[in-house]
Amino acid sequence: MMATLNASDWDRNKAGILLQRAGFGGTPQEIDALAALSPARAVDSLLGPTKFPPPDPPAFLEESGTEEALKTERAKMNSLPDPAKADARREIAQYHRATQGRQMTELRGWWLKQMAEPARATREKLTLFFHGHFATSFEKVRSPHLLYQQNSLFREKGYGMWSDLVLGVAKDPAMLIYLDGAKSRAEAPNENFARELFELFTLGEGNYTEKDIQESARAFTGWGIGATNGKKAGLQRGAQPSFKNVPKWHDSGAKRIFGKTGNFDGTDVVRLALAQDAAPRWIVQKLWKFYAGWSAPEPLLHELVKEWQSLKGEIRPFLMAMWTNPNFYDPVRAADRVKSPTEWLVGLCRQIGRPLPAPALSANILTQLGQNLFEPPNVKGWDGGIAWINTASISRRYEYGSWLVEGTQGLQKLSSLNMAKMAGESGLLKTSLPEISPEGMVISHGAKDLDPVEKQAALDKMKAAVALSPAPVARIATLEERQSSEKLLAVLSSRFLSGETIPVDLRTRFQQAAGEKVPFTDSAVRKMILAIVQSPLYQVT
Amino acid sequence: MNNHELKTRREFLRTGLLGGSLCWTLPAFLSRTMESLHAQADGALIQGVTGRDGNILVVLQLAGGNDGLNTVIPIGNDEYRKARPTLGLTDSSILRIDPQTGLHPSLSGLASAYQDGHLAIVQGVGYPNPNRSHFRSTEIWATAVDSDQSSTTGWIGRYFDNACSGCDASVGIAMASQLPQSFAASTPKGVLYQGSGGAKKKTSKKKGAAARDSDSSMMAMNDEQEGGEAGGSIGMLDGPGNLGHLSALDFLERTEMDAKVSQQEIAKASAKAKNSVPYPGSRLGQNFATVSRLIAGGMPTRIYYLSLGGFDTHTQQAGAHERLLKEMGDAVAAFLADLKAQGNLGRVSLMTFSEFGRRVKENASGGTDHGAAAPLFLAGGGVKAGLLGQMPSLAPKDLFDGDVKYNTDFRSVYATILEKHLGVKSEPILKKPFPLIHAYG
Repeated sequence: MMATLNASDWDRNKAGILLQRAGFGGTPQEIDALAALSPARAVDSLLGPTKFPPPDPPAFLEESGTEEALKTERAKMNSLPDPAKADARREIAQYHRATQGRQMTELRGWWLKQMAEPARATREKLTLFFHGHFATSFEKVRSPHLLYQQNSLFREKGYGMWSDLVLGVAKDPAMLIYLDGAKSRAEAPNENFARELFELFTLGEGNYTEKDIQESARAFTGWGIGATNGKKAGLQRGAQPSFKNVPKWHDSGAKRIFGKTGNFDGTDVVRLALAQDAAPRWIVQKLWKFYAGWSAPEPLLHELVKEWQSLKGEIRPFLMAMWTNPNFYDPVRAADRVKSPTEWLVGLCRQIGRPLPAPALSANILTQLGQNLFEPPNVKGWDGGIAWINTASISRRYEYGSWLVEGTQGLQKLSSLNMAKMAGESGLLKTSLPEISPEGMVISHGAKDLDPVEKQAALDKMKAAVALSPAPVARIATLEERQSSEKLLAVLSSRFLSGETIPVDLRTRFQQAAGEKVPFTDSAVRKMILAIVQSPLYQVT
Repeated sequence: MNNHELKTRREFLRTGLLGGSLCWTLPAFLSRTMESLHAQADGALIQGVTGRDGNILVVLQLAGGNDGLNTVIPIGNDEYRKARPTLGLTDSSILRIDPQTGLHPSLSGLASAYQDGHLAIVQGVGYPNPNRSHFRSTEIWATAVDSDQSSTTGWIGRYFDNACSGCDASVGIAMASQLPQSFAASTPKGVLYQGSGGAKKKTSKKKGAAARDSDSSMMAMNDEQEGGEAGGSIGMLDGPGNLGHLSALDFLERTEMDAKVSQQEIAKASAKAKNSVPYPGSRLGQNFATVSRLIAGGMPTRIYYLSLGGFDTHTQQAGAHERLLKEMGDAVAAFLADLKAQGNLGRVSLMTFSEFGRRVKENASGGTDHGAAAPLFLAGGGVKAGLLGQMPSLAPKDLFDGDVKYNTDFRSVYATILEKHLGVKSEPILKKPFPLIHAYG
């Protein structure tokens, strides 16, 4: 049995760390509520019930018009003479692309909204982990529906058995497209999925041979995708392909995988891979690193792996064990976990009590910060940790932080923020606009000869699209707490830094930000909040 | 701001402009950074390589595994025809370099660089015991250690550690969304610059592989839409992930400082200069245009790092590969012409690389699987034009597991660049001696 925290070791600081790491952070009230429970109860309550009604799906799933319109247009196209046909084909393709872009934005906004729900945060954080672990990108899959379906799979099976989840992913249509399984045939097995299954999903490099990959690729043949037969006739969802096992695509010969020989199929490969010694170590280390921020060293890893094995790879109780392990709160490593962009954005909005920005803006902020949801950089997912931080991304965190805390009252300050560009690219503006910097400089090619009236109109539209009022801080600090910079900092650090110890020089920086005039106005409170958000300390947890 | 433009981190520290002129508030970590800089300044020749006229290396990563065999192509080779019945390029379409060798037809930009005497083609580049994982092989190229070893630092990072320990972080600039793994150093260096293009990848307007695919299950879904790029699963660069002795918080503090100082520097340099030739509108073309302006604007940067992804062409390779090579070739050609017009061509070398080449035999989905050795390009004013190394034999008996064998270790290329172009000893950086290749006059 693994070491667990005693009730006497449990305090508000640890509760704050847990709330941030297990989910997306929250309000001081939520931290207090967790701190009042025993460690095990706190973790259990955060995890929530194993069975939990899934969120209502994004609205685009039930859209019926677009498919119909496409069908009509295609039919019309076919009766056109050749030159006009080509034009029509281009237009239809453009329409299709725009529709998908809009649906992806909706999907991203929808997911972020789930993350910001306190009762769902922990499950959504785990879903985010699996999205990075089984990284699959819209760039290749090109189907918002299938990406939603994969996202739901992570949510549905995330608390259950690891083996069920891996098998589910192996049969997931988006994954079958992403790693070419859908195209793999007995006569030409494609190694892509088998390789990443071993290298990235279950075992890690060095724990399999090229031969294991080749033979496994043969075993996976037959698993593909095909059209569903009018499950929801007429609706777009009905038109989505689903998993299909096609015996004639399958290589039914004998294969030798991990030293065993048989007429294996995909289910066998998953079973054989997960039976390798390297398998529990791989997923356990990845989970630990994602949540704790650092790699578990040998004695601890060994302990965690034993726990995992005794739980037979059931994920929810393993998360419990991990989060009640004293090492999870090791103060020496407290500054070693960097918040991911998603965690940063959702967490900040919750802490300052403002709704998430419009889906298009949120999605663009995350892209600029390096985490475009549903478009991970490659099949390895996001590296995470300090890889989130570089000279460009840290400046942007500070700039977006300023926008979220102080709003757009001084848009000229946002010159490097790319907000205008963001608004343009996000499709938030209905018309297509030239790219203009907030100072009114035309950036994009071909728009240089824009007349001044048009230019001003374009600029005004962009400003309106990103307009944001200052964060509502009236209730964040009482009049009494606004009487001195020490008191105000105490209240704000309890909210934004879960009461972590602040080095002296940083304290000074925060306190000076609010100025000297007491009681502090809302504007002064926001200035101190901004100083906290624009500090290295706020980026870690 | 005008009174206090900050040129370097050292100047920033010297002038002690704390807060006042900066957009953010007082750096709380200054004392620590000061200490470490003093320590470095005591022993190091800070200006060693930071002059404005020092030599520059531009690294172009072709991420995903470029098909070397369809990039530099053997002419009149029966084994090639046999292995590439559908993907093989016809002799008449190949841009001839010599009677046996030619370039892919979409590489006309590189072919003319070759004619101008500015391009060397190094053939058969690889390493012993090749690894076919994208990530591991990229890591091997980045860390420049044997394929059964690992290292927490990259070869460029070790160059920074050895030759530029007192330099500003902007001694290395990556036009990317993450610092490349090869930049990982004991003392972190290197900044990211995304120019006006930003991090958002332009969803390409080209038709991708899936759209042309005849596979009915895929077609059922989107017969009109653009498919994903072949190899969309391997796109961008891989990250560093190496903290060395720093905590994440220390790292953040450093990065905060580097961001403040270097972004001003870069913006200034970039605004000062203009491109003298038109560049392609592709992301890579625009990134090369930016690098050229930074060079002309007098940035003290020694290493620029760019990347182009999408080379993981498992399916329907022909069109995708052609477009990628064209994007690369046209961008490089514009860059070389621009440098020449600036008078900077002699100071700059450009090296391309990819984590591996591809399987000699094409697969049944009109693509190629992960391979091993491949050619790379070296371009620049100081580069001696020519074909180096040998075109590896394609005879089945000479292949290893279906892949061509290397004859030039990639670290020989690194060693040559380090010694002949950057003017530093290669052994402390590469940890072993490697024979040099004859790429410089």
